[in-house]
Amino acid sequence: MNEEQITKLERSIQNMKDKSSRIYFVVQDTKGNAKASIKYIYQMAMALKSDGYNPIILHEKPDYFGVSDWLGEKYMTDLTHKSIEGNNLEISPDDLIIIPEIFGFVMDQITKLPCGKIVLCQAYDHIFETLQPGQTWSQLGFNKCIITSEKQKEYVNSVMRNMSFSIIEPVISEVFEKQELPPKTIISIHTREHRDTVNLIKTFYSKFPQYRWITFRDMRGLSEVEFANAMKESFVSVWVDPTSGFGTFPLESMKMGIPVIGLTPNLVPEWMNEDNGIWINNVNMLPDVIADVIQNWLEDNLNPELYNEMEKTITKYTDVTNFNDVVIKIFSEMINNRLKNFEDQLSKFITTE
Amino acid sequence: MKNKNTISVILPIKSAVAGFFEEYLNKAIESIKVQKEKFDELIIVHTDESLLTKILGEFDFGDLNVKLESWSKEPNFADQVNHGVNVSTSEWISIFEFDDEYANIWVKNVKKYIDTYPNTGAFLPIVVDVDDKGVFVGFTNEASFASNISEEMGILTNETLHSYQNFQISGMVIKKDIFIEYGMIKSNFKLTFGYEFLLRMTQNSVKFITIPRIGYKHSNLREGSIFWNYKNGENRLTEDEVKFWIDSAKKEYFFNVQREINYEPQEI
Repeated sequence: MNEEQITKLERSIQNMKDKSSRIYFVVQDTKGNAKASIKYIYQMAMALKSDGYNPIILHEKPDYFGVSDWLGEKYMTDLTHKSIEGNNLEISPDDLIIIPEIFGFVMDQITKLPCGKIVLCQAYDHIFETLQPGQTWSQLGFNKCIITSEKQKEYVNSVMRNMSFSIIEPVISEVFEKQELPPKTIISIHTREHRDTVNLIKTFYSKFPQYRWITFRDMRGLSEVEFANAMKESFVSVWVDPTSGFGTFPLESMKMGIPVIGLTPNLVPEWMNEDNGIWINNVNMLPDVIADVIQNWLEDNLNPELYNEMEKTITKYTDVTNFNDVVIKIFSEMINNRLKNFEDQLSKFITTE
Repeated sequence: MKNKNTISVILPIKSAVAGFFEEYLNKAIESIKVQKEKFDELIIVHTDESLLTKILGEFDFGDLNVKLESWSKEPNFADQVNHGVNVSTSEWISIFEFDDEYANIWVKNVKKYIDTYPNTGAFLPIVVDVDDKGVFVGFTNEASFASNISEEMGILTNETLHSYQNFQISGMVIKKDIFIEYGMIKSNFKLTFGYEFLLRMTQNSVKFITIPRIGYKHSNLREGSIFWNYKNGENRLTEDEVKFWIDSAKKEYFFNVQREINYEPQEI
């Protein structure tokens, strides 16, 4: 190791010690559409920022739409944003880059970068989308993964060998408050594919024309505040996302005290139990179940135990301080491990000298 | 001084001769008894028909606070209701029919909504209409939630009533003062007295909220009922007369006082 390398190593060690090492979070441009997975990334970045770290949001193109419209201005102004394209990104060995599972092709491109590389996995069904057949993360130099639940970890661990996992469970925002006014005859609906929403509504009205006065509200494309305000008026919500990796929507609904009718996802979330929602396994039964729930709600006949169970379930996912603490703890451990590694390298070199 | 948030039920009865009268009445009174929160008063304005007087005199009302008001004038649904309202002692009144039933959650929900929306003048239930065999026929008052009919979800407005007429006043809970101030129910109307009443109240800016709960079960076109008679009775209304009463409702609601109105054939 020459003197220049030693200086670089010493600088990296110093950067890590004073938290100035860059922590890049790669994000997808949703063009102004709200997306829970992007919010989760911004929340992590914000937690790190508040603890003195140096997170940077990394987007693909310079004309990034941003998240001001749906997440809030502060996330754009408080966090540094940089574009991958048209920008000579500075990356040092002490930096970290966190790449969502969907960006397999980016992982492929940065294999040789000397920084710390971490996969962020929120949607297990996307992990192979942009990888070559047989390709794994560890082959691309990614050996660490941040993941949102134990269930997802179990699954991903079975298909991506030689990875170490850290679990950071999402937190449900404070904007999802309990309803103050009685709900209206509105059903909030969220499906993975838009056409599923349309199909469900049309099927329902066709099968149960006596309930055509019940309004379905598609929750797609709303800002977080609009989303919360819209949902607040509902008496029940419907969730159809068979490949969900966590299930933010039903938890947001529960936090507002609104029961959820949902299709049980392929990967059953840890928080889901038979008492905290109306869960079914056959999507074709949804219209019938919705009709039954409407009838029961109109007769004040929904089981109070359902509401109690919702309350119990959501407690675990509402502690923002705890979320921030977990994020900081996991990242500080990762950085400290790297720091120790760097110091070991340096000490070995100095000892050898 | 009327007691705050108290509700009187006004039940006009013309005759006990109708088929299954006692069966209907038993169910109707039972639906008052089993409320999760209680009505404060039941005022039955009944004609002097001997059978009816006998049945009511012997009826077991349990611990309900019942007033039997004898009506010796010409039987008329509107006049009998208006009389019951005048003698009631509650802040709110609810119109009831002997062949109908309240849902046991109705008073509970009304009181909750009175607390939440204190500036509201009247609350309508979602009504389940059933046929004489008790089979579901449809809903009434639900249209105030339909986005293509109602401007504001759950609020019944004058504009809404102009585009859709299928709303009913039985089961409704309305402030007694408002009911009286804006002219009560006009007794010279046939068929559309409820519609005219709602048009008039909303014209006077009375706020109507439909509570999104099933609050009332209505026997649809029971043989011998007022509306059955309009459709099937000896003096059934012609299409022209039906149109006349709808048109008249749309003309008369501007007047809080009852004006003379007589049917004249409209079609030439």
